[in-house]
Amino acid sequence: MEFKELDPILHAPLRLAVMSLLLSVREAEFTFIKEKTNSTAGNLSVQITKLKDVGYIEVTKQFNNNYPQTICRITPKGLEAFELYVKALQGYIHGGDDKK
Amino acid sequence: MEEQKLSTEESLLLITSMINKAKNSYYESGLGALLWGFTNLICFVLAFLKDTHRILFPFNPFILMIITFILQLYFDSREKKNKKAINYLDDIHKYIWYAFAVSVLILTLVGGYTQIGYIVLPVLLVLFAIPTFISGCIKKFTPLIVGGIGCWVLSILAFVNKDQYSSYLLVAAGATIAWIIPGFILRANFKKQMQQEHGV
Repeated sequence: MEFKELDPILHAPLRLAVMSLLLSVREAEFTFIKEKTNSTAGNLSVQITKLKDVGYIEVTKQFNNNYPQTICRITPKGLEAFELYVKALQGYIHGGDDKK
Repeated sequence: MEEQKLSTEESLLLITSMINKAKNSYYESGLGALLWGFTNLICFVLAFLKDTHRILFPFNPFILMIITFILQLYFDSREKKNKKAINYLDDIHKYIWYAFAVSVLILTLVGGYTQIGYIVLPVLLVLFAIPTFISGCIKKFTPLIVGGIGCWVLSILAFVNKDQYSSYLLVAAGATIAWIIPGFILRANFKKQMQQEHGV
């Protein structure tokens, strides 16, 4: 059985966590994602930029009470990539193999 | 977290855990429920006392609703600023309450204008029950579900009762079980959640 290659952008813990989180909400603030993923601001910022660069998420910067706010939301392209990733994972599971 | 590779099981576990974390991230302070619960309680008790000539009241007690509406707008804008994520269910929830507000407005304004009498009150209780029950089901929050069912029961009593004055008290009771009691529970849960998250 031939296995589909897992999307390298999504097949990384923090990026996958961010995408899974954004999948379940309409939009989320950077601090919310940081809190839920237990990540550091620096690392999260790098991974969010990577996801944004490939068009999987949309990032809006705004001000709230004079404090900068970063809002993230998943894009249709990101949603499609996530679905393909999950299908590929299912393929591995049903194939009885586990690609490390 | 980054650069370490994932097995398929780990990936699926991570996805599930993140989806659950997002699902449990409701921002519900209980303020809206308490605000509208107490306003309805006060308005309907005052209307009962005024219409049964137990007290002299200088104006229509339902004017208080306008003040509550302004307060609600203020609390909404404040809560919006504190909300870190917007859930899809938040949107559904919001539209259900908008639909409820429009229905109540039509019923009370047109009902009052055409003077259709006591029937407005049991219908109002039926309307109270719908969004309360749905909200309870969406949030899996039993006090709201019980509150919604309670309003349906009270609406039957009000339909059978056919007396406008005592039905005012039934609506006041409806507001208490649908919003005041669940509102206090939501508020207590919210404060506990804030303490856990921020230590405040």
